[in-house]
Amino acid sequence: MNCEVCHLKELEVEHFEIREVLRWLRCFRIAPLILLGNLYKSFSSSSYASGLLCLQFRCYNVIYFLPEPTMLKLDAGILHSIVFHRALGPVRPKDVDSELFEITYVQCGDSNLEKKIEEKIDHFIGWVEKHPNKKSQVYSLLLPKLFSNKIERLYWEHWYVNLNVAQPPKAPSRKSHHSKVVVDPGESALEERNVRRTALEVSLREVLFQIIKFVNEKKDHIPPIPNLEGVSFPYEITIPSSSDSSFGMDMIKRMLQTGRPTMLS
Amino acid sequence: MASPRSNLHQESTNTEQIITEFFAKCLHIILESRSPCAYSRNYSGEQTQSSPSSSSSSSSSFRPRDKWLNLALRDCVVDVILVRGPVDCDPVRCSPRRGLVKNLSVEELFPNFWNSGHEECLLEEKSEKIIERWVIQYKNQKSRDFTSGSKRSGGTSSKSLYKKSIVLLRSLYLTVRLLPAHKLFRDLNKSGQIHTYTLSHRVSSSVEPFNRREEEEMRPFNRTEVDTSCGRLCLSVLYRPTLSDLSLEPSTPISPQFIPDYVGSPMTDPLKRFPSLPLAGMVAHGSPSSFPFSRRHSWGYDIYKASQPSVSPSPSPTYSDSRALLSNLGSHRLPPVSLPRHPHETPSSSNVSLCHQYNTSFDEYWPSPIFSPSSSPSPPTHIPSSHPSNALLRCDSAPVSIPAARFGRSPGLPNNHIVPLAPFSKSSRPSSSQTDNSRALLRPGNIQTSVPVRKFSLGKDEVGNLPGAKISSNSSPQISISRSSSRLSFLEAFDDSEFPCPFAVDYDDIRDMHTRYVIQLVAYFVCLMSISEWVSLAVPDPYIYSGFDREPSRYENASDNRQGVTEC
Repeated sequence: MNCEVCHLKELEVEHFEIREVLRWLRCFRIAPLILLGNLYKSFSSSSYASGLLCLQFRCYNVIYFLPEPTMLKLDAGILHSIVFHRALGPVRPKDVDSELFEITYVQCGDSNLEKKIEEKIDHFIGWVEKHPNKKSQVYSLLLPKLFSNKIERLYWEHWYVNLNVAQPPKAPSRKSHHSKVVVDPGESALEERNVRRTALEVSLREVLFQIIKFVNEKKDHIPPIPNLEGVSFPYEITIPSSSDSSFGMDMIKRMLQTGRPTMLS
Repeated sequence: MASPRSNLHQESTNTEQIITEFFAKCLHIILESRSPCAYSRNYSGEQTQSSPSSSSSSSSSFRPRDKWLNLALRDCVVDVILVRGPVDCDPVRCSPRRGLVKNLSVEELFPNFWNSGHEECLLEEKSEKIIERWVIQYKNQKSRDFTSGSKRSGGTSSKSLYKKSIVLLRSLYLTVRLLPAHKLFRDLNKSGQIHTYTLSHRVSSSVEPFNRREEEEMRPFNRTEVDTSCGRLCLSVLYRPTLSDLSLEPSTPISPQFIPDYVGSPMTDPLKRFPSLPLAGMVAHGSPSSFPFSRRHSWGYDIYKASQPSVSPSPSPTYSDSRALLSNLGSHRLPPVSLPRHPHETPSSSNVSLCHQYNTSFDEYWPSPIFSPSSSPSPPTHIPSSHPSNALLRCDSAPVSIPAARFGRSPGLPNNHIVPLAPFSKSSRPSSSQTDNSRALLRPGNIQTSVPVRKFSLGKDEVGNLPGAKISSNSSPQISISRSSSRLSFLEAFDDSEFPCPFAVDYDDIRDMHTRYVIQLVAYFVCLMSISEWVSLAVPDPYIYSGFDREPSRYENASDNRQGVTEC
């Protein structure tokens, strides 16, 4: 089975918007992903009454050319969106109005989760600052615990969030070669930013609509919901570490460490 | 050992129960995100949870109904509100059904309740436009279309159905917040803006097809189906993608206007003869019959003598009196009168609820209180929480109660204090009638009832010092008409000795009781000016008056205001 690829619109956002978007996309199982290749893992587990459990890589080709603040906002929104859709235990949803966009996202109401996500975002911000103009990836892994003596990591879903943080455009020089032209860099930059933000909001909304649709199309692979409140499934959020010098290396390492899931008969 | 037949029956029962709960939660989610001012945000931690005995984590204490589909929602409260409009207007009707509902259609209406071009408070026009249609359907196996889903074997077990319903509900919860109508919902819940629209809803069990035009405007989104062992659960939405063509821009609050012909206390005859101010249009000299309107206050009628003018109030809504703060008495209006921000005192305990109502009404109905005779002395019993757009333009003759609590309680107030408008005077003789009158005084919109102000007494000397009597520049800075210079005109009117103040006191002609009442009236008048400023500064919080759960900070702010208002 091939990966499902959904080509989404490229978004240009500012750096400070990343956090917000990522937060917001936490509500959904989204995420802009980079296609690393067709990878499909399927296995069956006797612990699941539904039978075959498919692990699907949801691949979205979305590249955010994001100024740093926007990107940070996007990070938080995306992560919260993912978790909300996967924290299938009893939750008390909490609406959060985006600071930058006319979008309301939802949190699970789990303070520990929110704290963890914010920590991850902060680490991600630090990484971005050290690696400007570099593609970054924030992905969350959702994995169940097997009800057995041996805890094995069986990823039943992967989400990849790829962000391409662009440097903010340089402010135009105040010295104009044309003396007749009055250049107001402040206003023009602000206007440009507003236009870009509006476009980003529209695009983001379109992306989220598409993701909601996609989320509801595939439900069979979701394992039974444990009787746990909030984030009932174990999850893991991985961000590129400072030592990572190559793109996607961390993911490859994980793949190698995880190995091929065993087929449980 | 259970027979297959019993298992099947149990499975069917479980499925039906899941479907029922799903319907209820869907309706709940949709309504709470589309009913302005009805639900508070940020559910987490707001409600006190009754902890059911459960083996799960005891930290959050989910109620049994919260555990259904693993989504705890806030309490669902549905207000049935009468909306005045054309004969064929359809007030909000909600008929939530539970049980084996096969089809449920929730339409978010977009009624335009207000015609801003009119000063009257009646609803001149009412138009509705459906901007969303949520359809939750469950088709039983018998009526199911086998051509589309017959290939699927056995449908979904109840456990799988439950899991998928949870996911579907999560998606629904987020979808309602992504659609454009949610922005309207947020805007309506914001304070400080007047909207010419509101969101209404209509719940029905049948789907009325759109006409061609409506169908072209609507766009489907995310039609999701879940097969069950007994049928198919389907959730879909049609929404209007663009709302910009509906002219939904909020408007700035209208300028607070001053009722020129404020009648004042029925206890005071001279009040009937107040002349018309240049801008305020106050009634000048003349007989009571020269009043442009007459009052019809049962409580004041006995006090008024024969010369008591029968002031006919301006058209008043049939709405609650608590909302009738603003009146339009003729064409004379003063600009807004600013009110003090901070109350000075709190009223007595007997005035707490009434002052709260007053406070509530002011918060709702700013920009300004308008002096006008009250058309109905009955105190408001309920302050509707809907249709804030109606508030400010509910310009009837209902007077405005003056929160005496906010101003000096004791007599001998310094000039820089707003004269208290406590409904009770310390020196007055308590009586049931006075009590009623005082209650009427504090009733929102009923500012004329200045009569038995028990806790407020002013002597003759204080009259001259009353900032209300002589509203001068050195009066309380809280008294200000923020938006125009009409304040100055108003002040000038009071300062003008030749211009008989409606609250002017003729000590030679009135008895002691009337003297006190007149003085109080002047004080009330001043306080009214201050109140308008205070109201303009207050942040209207619909959540305060709706009685629903709300953020603690909001509740605390409301408490402070209420505390201040009730000081007498």
